[in-house]
Amino acid sequence: MGDSQYSFSLTTFSPSGKLVQIEHALTAVGSGQTSLGIKAANGVVIATEKKLPSILVDEISVQKTQILTPNIGVVYSGMGPDSRVLVRKSRKQAEQYYRLYKEPIPVTQLVRETATVMQEFTQSGGVRPFGVSLLVAGYDDKGPQLYQVDPSGSYFSWKASAMGKNVSNAKTFLEKRYTEEMELDDAVHTAILTLKEGFEGQISGKNIEIGVIGSDRIFKVLSPSEVEDYLQEAE
Amino acid sequence: MSRFEESAPARGGFSFDLCKRNEMLVQKGLKPSSYLKTGTTIVGLVFQDGVILGADTRATEGPIVADKNCEKIHYMAPNIYCCGAGTAADTEAVTDMVSSQLKLHRFHTGRESRVVTALTLLKSHLFSYQGHVSAALVLGGVDVTGPHLHTIYPHGSTDTLPFATMGSGSLAAMAIFESKYREGLTRDEGVKLVAEAICSGIFNDLGSGSNVDVCVITKGKREYLRNYMLPNPRTYVSEKGYSFSKKTEVLLTKITPLRELVEVIEGGDAMEE
Repeated sequence: MGDSQYSFSLTTFSPSGKLVQIEHALTAVGSGQTSLGIKAANGVVIATEKKLPSILVDEISVQKTQILTPNIGVVYSGMGPDSRVLVRKSRKQAEQYYRLYKEPIPVTQLVRETATVMQEFTQSGGVRPFGVSLLVAGYDDKGPQLYQVDPSGSYFSWKASAMGKNVSNAKTFLEKRYTEEMELDDAVHTAILTLKEGFEGQISGKNIEIGVIGSDRIFKVLSPSEVEDYLQEAE
Repeated sequence: MSRFEESAPARGGFSFDLCKRNEMLVQKGLKPSSYLKTGTTIVGLVFQDGVILGADTRATEGPIVADKNCEKIHYMAPNIYCCGAGTAADTEAVTDMVSSQLKLHRFHTGRESRVVTALTLLKSHLFSYQGHVSAALVLGGVDVTGPHLHTIYPHGSTDTLPFATMGSGSLAAMAIFESKYREGLTRDEGVKLVAEAICSGIFNDLGSGSNVDVCVITKGKREYLRNYMLPNPRTYVSEKGYSFSKKTEVLLTKITPLRELVEVIEGGDAMEE
């Protein structure tokens, strides 16, 4: 990072002590499509809107929810291409961890490594911060976990969180609906209802994506027909 | 820029400096240490539904048996396994590394790994190390294009065969294959033939021994039959047990616990990180 003539960082402090580039990156995230995550007692669900720019786009080719390891998945809000880079790096880091320690990477470790990468891009020469916030859902020996990672590289563990366009409404909705004893199926229904709140147009299995991980510790992206089933139950 | 003149090892990877030194010493008349024969029999064959791999379980350090029951059939992918002969560290490291690369590739493509992918990753790695990574492999698996069996030599050349053997016991095993192999074997016939070939290596080659491991790979399923046959059990166990001569005195028998029994208090304060 930072070769050729740009050995100085493009992210510099403003007189008020803020890193303006990171603020702008958060704005980019805030104008991205809504995504949210909910940690249930026996699993985690992450979901996102999948609004395509035109009806001509083949929606099967677009997958926003990605798998990082068999027991960790991720969804983003913001710039898709930036998230691709992070997903690729995270997968490699998880694999390197496994090669070194012969155990699957704990969720916190993977989140920390991803956050470190994102921070590096705020302090290196010739690069800009990532324009995505990630929601990482995983299930390891510590149980189900949900983390949000921001463009600055800071990360927080959440019981339920939302990001993107409709973040304030979604978070208020989640605050009202969230209970600690929630089971995974209830969490999926709540996630769907939260997405429905700010959804423009008709919600269906083709324009939202849901990823779940349960006590079987296998992250799975639900197929459109499975999403439709949950949608009908939620009504 | 001066930093481009730094030596390669700063970034990790093999350093060939000592190889140049060794060549220089040989030119000056130093006899290099003789090559240790790779003690192994590994085989593979293609049967009607897939691929069967077999291996013995003896690891040798020169004339000494280092491991009587080691695992020579390595996991590469859910549908691909690899037997390794040669330096055990080299075969383990190379198969581990390519297995990692295949896993990442599966995440990126969302598809099952193909045997030719594993083959190409292995052979390009071995070729780039010019034979210094002493790993001779029998790679087999079943993917969307069908069952495949390949042999890979330490210098990076490969063969695609319906039946293959490698290692010091390869001639003994190949004798069995050449006389009894035919196309379209059933699973049981194939496993029996593989076990026979490995046994031939075990009994006729000093570098191979102990037990037979078999791995059957078919479309969508694999069976790793660890210690499928144990033709060399330890039969000699002295029934008399050990008796000490009368002059031996047992002075004192005392068991000292090294640590007091620790009580776990539920709900205590968590340790601060």
